Amino acid sequence: MAEIIAAVDEGGANTLLGDAIQTIGTQSKSGSGSLGPFTASYNLTGHFTNGTVDLIAPGTVRIDQLRFDWNVDLSFQIDLNSFLPHFCLPQVCVDIPCVGTVCTPKICVSWPTITVPVSFGDFVEATADFGIDVSLNGGNWKVQIVVQNVSQLQFGPGTAGILALIGAAITPILLAIPFIGPFLAIAVDTILLAIGIAGVTGFLGPIISPFISGLKIPVYNQAKHFQVLPAAGPNDPAVFVELDAVTAGIQHSDEDELVLSVDISP
Amino acid sequence: MFDNLDTIDSRALRPTDCYGQRFMRPGTYHYHVLPSGGQHINRERPYVVRVSDPKDKGPAMQQLTLMVAWNGRELRPDKIDVSVNTGDLVVWNCPHPAAPPYEVAGDKDFFNSARLVNECGFSHAFGLPGTYRWADAFGSGVGGTVHVLAPRCRTPAELAQWQSDLARATVVMISHGKAEPAHVEIATGQTVYFAIVAGKGISVTDTRLHTIGNCGHTATTVG
Amino acid sequence: MSLTGTEQVFGAIHESALNDMIRAFFDARPRYRRFGSPVFVPATTVTATQMGAIPFPGTGGIEWLVTFSIPVIDLFEQTTPLPPPLTLGPGQFSLRTTVGICIDCAARRDDRQASVAAGQGRAAANHVVCTALDVFGIGHLDSWHNSNGDGAVRLRVDTVELVDVTPDSLETLLECLLKMVLDAALSQMELPLPALRAGAFELIVVRGPDIADDRIKVAGNL
Repeated sequence: MAEIIAAVDEGGANTLLGDAIQTIGTQSKSGSGSLGPFTASYNLTGHFTNGTVDLIAPGTVRIDQLRFDWNVDLSFQIDLNSFLPHFCLPQVCVDIPCVGTVCTPKICVSWPTITVPVSFGDFVEATADFGIDVSLNGGNWKVQIVVQNVSQLQFGPGTAGILALIGAAITPILLAIPFIGPFLAIAVDTILLAIGIAGVTGFLGPIISPFISGLKIPVYNQAKHFQVLPAAGPNDPAVFVELDAVTAGIQHSDEDELVLSVDISP
Repeated sequence: MFDNLDTIDSRALRPTDCYGQRFMRPGTYHYHVLPSGGQHINRERPYVVRVSDPKDKGPAMQQLTLMVAWNGRELRPDKIDVSVNTGDLVVWNCPHPAAPPYEVAGDKDFFNSARLVNECGFSHAFGLPGTYRWADAFGSGVGGTVHVLAPRCRTPAELAQWQSDLARATVVMISHGKAEPAHVEIATGQTVYFAIVAGKGISVTDTRLHTIGNCGHTATTVG
Repeated sequence: MSLTGTEQVFGAIHESALNDMIRAFFDARPRYRRFGSPVFVPATTVTATQMGAIPFPGTGGIEWLVTFSIPVIDLFEQTTPLPPPLTLGPGQFSLRTTVGICIDCAARRDDRQASVAAGQGRAAANHVVCTALDVFGIGHLDSWHNSNGDGAVRLRVDTVELVDVTPDSLETLLECLLKMVLDAALSQMELPLPALRAGAFELIVVRGPDIADDRIKVAGNL
């Protein structure tokens, strides 16, 4: 028999978890990853928006359409010699009056390595199943829901346009390279084909997935030495009880409810 | 937005530039290939052009092309001691993309790519479209424009036509302070050959670079 | 049947936990079960509350002390036996405590012919007389709450029963006196609604707080 019970139904859980997710705030991560054949360094920031909560007894909280809005600044280097054809200026001969024929040698052009900065943003959605974790750490009881299982990430429609954004970022950089003008379209297409949509999602997926799989949403956080009343003067000290045990689970009756049970002592 | 980004400056030779010098008198001409401006610091002239005047020499000018290599520390022609006949042309080119802009500096005033005097030439292949105004950085007043047009290369046929056009160059004759023609129009990738017949020693330099100094050279009679 | 019903959030505290909180309150602030006049309580401290002596002509004030043991609460459904005629009805609580009453039975020494000058005050009790009474009571919850989720409950005593005090009129008088004293003392203890849920969730009260099933229950929305 639990001494104190607190329960919230699915509608309440939607609000509770939505508010809790907002307190998580913006998260960020930097590093490098494979963008097709390229290595790209990135800085990604994002935040969560709650989906639809489904409480499933005895201990699963399912959030459908959990959404992670993200923005990424990435930079990758392209050695154009790996993508563009070998290009040489042919020998050029001119007739100089009263002198004769003067020829330049065949001159082969070496393409440079360029650095492409790209910024874009979109969102992913997933259905995630959370388990309920209860712990006592540092004198505090914590109840949080932690991800146990995530469906495949569904990227938003903007992700498909990322290749076009990369193309738009590459184009002005290429235009500044001598002799590449006539090859520009070929160069951009070759690079984008090398990356491909799989390259974009293959790059973003491993970066974004940990945000979702590592998500922990706080539900309850109170000190074990729990203050019932604050001090109210020199002759009225604060009043405390001890939270001896905390348990949590999903109970099913005519509706599903997240139930916290707490045992106390004076 | 991206026009006029090419760099044309005969004082600082780059991979798509050539310097050519005819040797009209027999003799032994020592020279060095140095980063631009280096001739005033390094007085050594370790490389040699030996010019002889044999009696059985033919009427046609012969050309010897020397490819200059860059090993990260020095510029070195593939043949450091060459022999030509009077009237022959020696052409230098360094195609290495990492090489610094360079100059060919001889032990005679006429033999210097940084200041073109006579019977010499400077060629430049223009890699980016735009209108390039060039002039003598030594202040003789000679100058002109090169209008570089971006070619239409949307089809394989157009691309092939452009590549074929790369073999055709335009000549600008410069003599006694006058360039002819002063204004030329070419396609991206084509070459302009500036042939200096005679003068007081000039450069072919983008007018936007004229504030960069001519160390040791003044706009006075040379040679 | 769900706990939350038509609301989103539900909270309930069992009578055992409520007694733990009441014990914690009186352990931290014992002055709320010990009230006395200056002879017994020279000054208000954490352990006792000073009240005035009962003024009465010629006495210099009747010095008194009232204490009670930490009450034990039984929420409806009834668990603890009650002396008749007390019965525990729906929505009610019963309490059991022991009330101690002491007075300083001072002897007047102001005879006009006495050597001791009249009007001299006394610094300490002369002759303390005490009694202890087992008291049973019935009461109801008094509460308040607002739209911010704040609120509190306190225990209000409605009826008190003493056992075997005679004559009946004295029992009735003492029952009324003790009812007033206990009700006033217990009214000082306001337990915040969030504390009754151990701080879990926010709750803007829609239903309750009510007593039922040995618990104080409250329901509302986030």
